[in-house]
Amino acid sequence: MEAKTSLKQFLRLLYMSAKMDLAWLLRDSKYALICMVVDIADNIAAISTVLLIAGRIGSIGSMGFDEALFMMSYSSLLNSLYIMLGAGNNIIISRVIGRGQLDHMLIQPLPLITQLATSGFAPFSGFGNFIVGIALMSASIHRIGMSITSLWLLSLLIYLIASLAIIASMSYLSAIMAFYAPVAAEEISSTAIDDAWPLSAFPLSGMPAIIQVALLTVFPYGLISWFPSMCLLGKPPLGLSSYYPVAVAFVLSNAAGYMFKKAMNYYTMKGSNRYVPHGFRR
Amino acid sequence: MKIHKYSMSALMSLRSKMNEGILSLLPEVFIRGITLLALINLWKAAMQSASDLEIGISQMLSYTYASAILSDMLVVKTQASGWLSEGVLLRLYTRPLALLSQLVAETIGGWAASLALFSLPMALAAPLFGISLKPASPFFFVSLILCVSLGFAVDALFSCLSIKLGHMNWLVGRIRQAIAALLSGSVVPIKMLPFGMGEYMRFQPFASLGGATLSIFVGSSDTAQTIMLQIAWNLIIWPIALLALKKSQEGIVSYGG
Repeated sequence: MEAKTSLKQFLRLLYMSAKMDLAWLLRDSKYALICMVVDIADNIAAISTVLLIAGRIGSIGSMGFDEALFMMSYSSLLNSLYIMLGAGNNIIISRVIGRGQLDHMLIQPLPLITQLATSGFAPFSGFGNFIVGIALMSASIHRIGMSITSLWLLSLLIYLIASLAIIASMSYLSAIMAFYAPVAAEEISSTAIDDAWPLSAFPLSGMPAIIQVALLTVFPYGLISWFPSMCLLGKPPLGLSSYYPVAVAFVLSNAAGYMFKKAMNYYTMKGSNRYVPHGFRR
Repeated sequence: MKIHKYSMSALMSLRSKMNEGILSLLPEVFIRGITLLALINLWKAAMQSASDLEIGISQMLSYTYASAILSDMLVVKTQASGWLSEGVLLRLYTRPLALLSQLVAETIGGWAASLALFSLPMALAAPLFGISLKPASPFFFVSLILCVSLGFAVDALFSCLSIKLGHMNWLVGRIRQAIAALLSGSVVPIKMLPFGMGEYMRFQPFASLGGATLSIFVGSSDTAQTIMLQIAWNLIIWPIALLALKKSQEGIVSYGG
């Protein structure tokens, strides 16, 4: 039977994950440094397409270079939070399901949600990207000449949480397939999130309405970076409310939670086919 | 008869990709398709207001489209780095075939699924988006062969880096991904890099991968000069890659998984 988690216990679990992350970093400083540099290079490469286009041409649709820089800084900051909170495949959950590792979590005397929320916390190894994101955002805000208020900072925090919730929801919704086809769908969350990351970093300004609407509704990749960035710049697109990403995040995360639980019920009846009777993995 | 053995390796690789059925490959194909359509529209939106560009809008769209449907070949990625930590690489040594040739055969076999499920349908659909996929020069095919050849050499060097770093294949994969995005010209043409960087960047080896071939495809570069550069980099990188691979082989440690 699942025990309830107190706040103290939750914080202790976060502390343990952070401690393990630091231990990994300090185990070999050479590799740790390489990892951090590669993380930063990878992040910059992910936003380079848009920045290079905007840098060469000056604008993308109605979005100027400085606005594109702001959007890329938002994407970068989001990427760093995604790494810092999802380092243990707790967001790319189809891997855990597909590899039969969910069973390991189900036998722990902790609610599954607590384990998933705390097991991927890696504040140290993901910190390099966070700094890059902050630096890029500061530079873009300075270039735009935007004044920062505490209300704006609160909005930024809320949008980042909403973006992360949309990412996690899409990952968990796609991961449902892994309950039914563990081997075939082991990487489905990675395809839906990591492979599609460039899609979330494209400014949709100036694109045909059909693409904009599709990427804000059925495939909400436009809500991950573009829409929140435009809202933070004071220009909510398509005449939609600036609360739209938050509302979608709320609906999507509830839908994902409900459907994930339903699919897990099926899984708990059937079990994983990744283990043979003696415990070896196929 | 050896060619038969290599084609069997390629076929095995294709079958392993299809093991879980075609349906399991469709999400990736779908994401690639949507990303390509969005990228095409991104370039359209960006180039609407642009003037004095080195490449016209129709050339740019063909460039982007060809880059997506030939992506596996433009920046070659074998399974070597991943197989190192999984222990598969050692198994290749037990077969009576050369290691590199096996990797080439396995990689080409792996391309077939993506070519059939993504590249071919997208190539057939290109006219619907008003995009021409007719090469500007027949030397595009020569350039593509040189690009693939150089890609395998560069991949061998990345495999050596993976051996040197002790199985950190995901790390090497990310280095490779960053290099491909920034230096190969597969996404943003080298010629279109801002601040005049294109003038110098076209001489670095990674520019002789996808970017060089695509620039010949759309006719935005001097064909003879580009092919000469590709030949030169092949001649330089291959001996280095073979030497590095020979020296690294003794350092291979695999424990399987």
